[in-house]
Amino acid sequence: MTFAVQTGLFFRRKLLETLRQPVWIITGLTTPALYLALFAPLLRSLDGGPAFPAGQVLEVFVPGVLVLVAFGAGMGAGWPVIWELDSGVLERLRVTPASRLALLLGTVLRDVVMFAVPGVVVTAIAAGFGFHLHWAGLPLLFLLLALLTAACSATSSALGLILKQIGGLAAVVAGMQLPLTLLAGILLPLSLGPAWLRVLGHLNPLYYAVQAARSLAAGSIGAGAVGLGFLVTGALAALTLWWGTRAYQQAMA
Amino acid sequence: MSSPLPPAPATAAVAVAVAISGLRKSFRVAGQTIEAVSGIDLTVAAGEIFGLLGPNGAGKTTTLRILTTLLPADAGSARVADADVLAEPAVVRRRIGYVSQLGGADKAATGRENLMLAGRLYGLSAADATRRCDELAEVFDLGQLLARSVRTYSGGQRRRLEVALGIMHRPRVLFLDEPTTGLDPQNRANLWDQLRGLRAAGTTICLTTHYLDEADQLCDRVAIIDHGRVIAIGAPDQLKRRYSADTITVTPDVTASALPALARELADATSAEVTVAENGAIRLTVTDPTAAMAAVFGVLAGRRLSVLAASVGQPSLDDVFLRETGRSLRDAGAPGSGQAAGAGAGAAREVAA
Repeated sequence: MTFAVQTGLFFRRKLLETLRQPVWIITGLTTPALYLALFAPLLRSLDGGPAFPAGQVLEVFVPGVLVLVAFGAGMGAGWPVIWELDSGVLERLRVTPASRLALLLGTVLRDVVMFAVPGVVVTAIAAGFGFHLHWAGLPLLFLLLALLTAACSATSSALGLILKQIGGLAAVVAGMQLPLTLLAGILLPLSLGPAWLRVLGHLNPLYYAVQAARSLAAGSIGAGAVGLGFLVTGALAALTLWWGTRAYQQAMA
Repeated sequence: MSSPLPPAPATAAVAVAVAISGLRKSFRVAGQTIEAVSGIDLTVAAGEIFGLLGPNGAGKTTTLRILTTLLPADAGSARVADADVLAEPAVVRRRIGYVSQLGGADKAATGRENLMLAGRLYGLSAADATRRCDELAEVFDLGQLLARSVRTYSGGQRRRLEVALGIMHRPRVLFLDEPTTGLDPQNRANLWDQLRGLRAAGTTICLTTHYLDEADQLCDRVAIIDHGRVIAIGAPDQLKRRYSADTITVTPDVTASALPALARELADATSAEVTVAENGAIRLTVTDPTAAMAAVFGVLAGRRLSVLAASVGQPSLDDVFLRETGRSLRDAGAPGSGQAAGAGAGAAREVAA
């Protein structure tokens, strides 16, 4: 009960903080829209080629952009954590009886919102370009990617608390971004690549989320990839939330 | 600003607010083990303002961070507000308030949002938190400011908010780490008044400081700390009397050759220890400065000598520190000598102060 109240209080605090920085809201909305507007025309020529069933370019591409939005929304969580370490805010909150998980979840839930709102906008724009909306798959798709956002957010918070320095965090997050997104086949499907690349992809938890997202976007709710995607992403979210909570418990400001 | 706070709950009537014994804590910094706290024992009685006085790097902040559940001690025990810091941190957290050196107000939020969040995290209902918020706004003179973002506050205003944040839930024991560092004299005096008001309402206050006058004028009792150890503990007056005495300095209008004879005569008249300084001043170490001053002026009047300068010097806590460590507290803590935690920001602020 108190845990839910505390989570709500921290969520509200983080949401207000974001709403007061319109820059983030604007780039949060425009970046994915630009991806669609600038990248989608390039893909037209791939229609019907390898990995792109005829007329399904957007069904392959849009889920990838949504995964990128989720990744971006979550991975930004660590920066404010470092500001809060440096300004003593975290130290003050850690002396209160507040649950550390609630503290972490406040940021995680805000990031889920920061994924969901641009995500809906991107989906709507994509529908205008000809992306088929499968009503059974879409809510599941958003649920899956909300879990992915949560995992990314918890990871970024944990990294911020452990590294304690903006520079270190930036290096780690930027270093993770390319291999993780490439090996998940976010923008271009991995099936285009050689066998070793596909093997590496299977070691990347993000890969399963992307595969499941593509099945869901195509409306195949019962596909094996969907179950596997939820399993891997759900486990990743649980693991990273545990890690982030531990980092909050041990953080030395 | 001086209006009293409502009385603390009856449960606050604990005889001992803080009890520490054999407390130790080391850090590994750049491959070296540094012992920040090397066996501290002390007791803080409920309802007093207790000061940890010492130079930078003495172990004050580390001690405070152990008492506030932020750091686990390596050895020893600590009880705060009737709960064990190590075994029952959750209980301790409910009963204490903490104002860190950095303060920790959320600058992106308004003052009211900061206070409301703090209150609600301790389980106050929204209505209770609002009431308490208005109450503290009056005590700390924050009324008009609360609707504004903390980013726009001056240093003194922010400090007042931060202290209000620390007592939103009426803690039994309030810990403050260098509360007046960086404040101008007026804001400093105001904060002292507010802390005295809190004590009057039954709150135990435990603070760290490296200011002699703060320890002397604000604190009921002081523990002087150096290199992680308590080197002296007691009421400021008691400490000063135990370690040093009042001094009288007079500069009579006589030739240098006449000084030694006059000094001997003054020594006989006051039965004090007397030294003659190069600039012609005679310094007497006395136990009763009023009587001694009368005797000195009696002797000088008898010899029809006029006085160029006369002053009474009171002993300071620095004398205590000097006796115990051979260093002056003013010189001991050069900025940047490194507190275990938050060293960079803390030192930078001290330079600014």
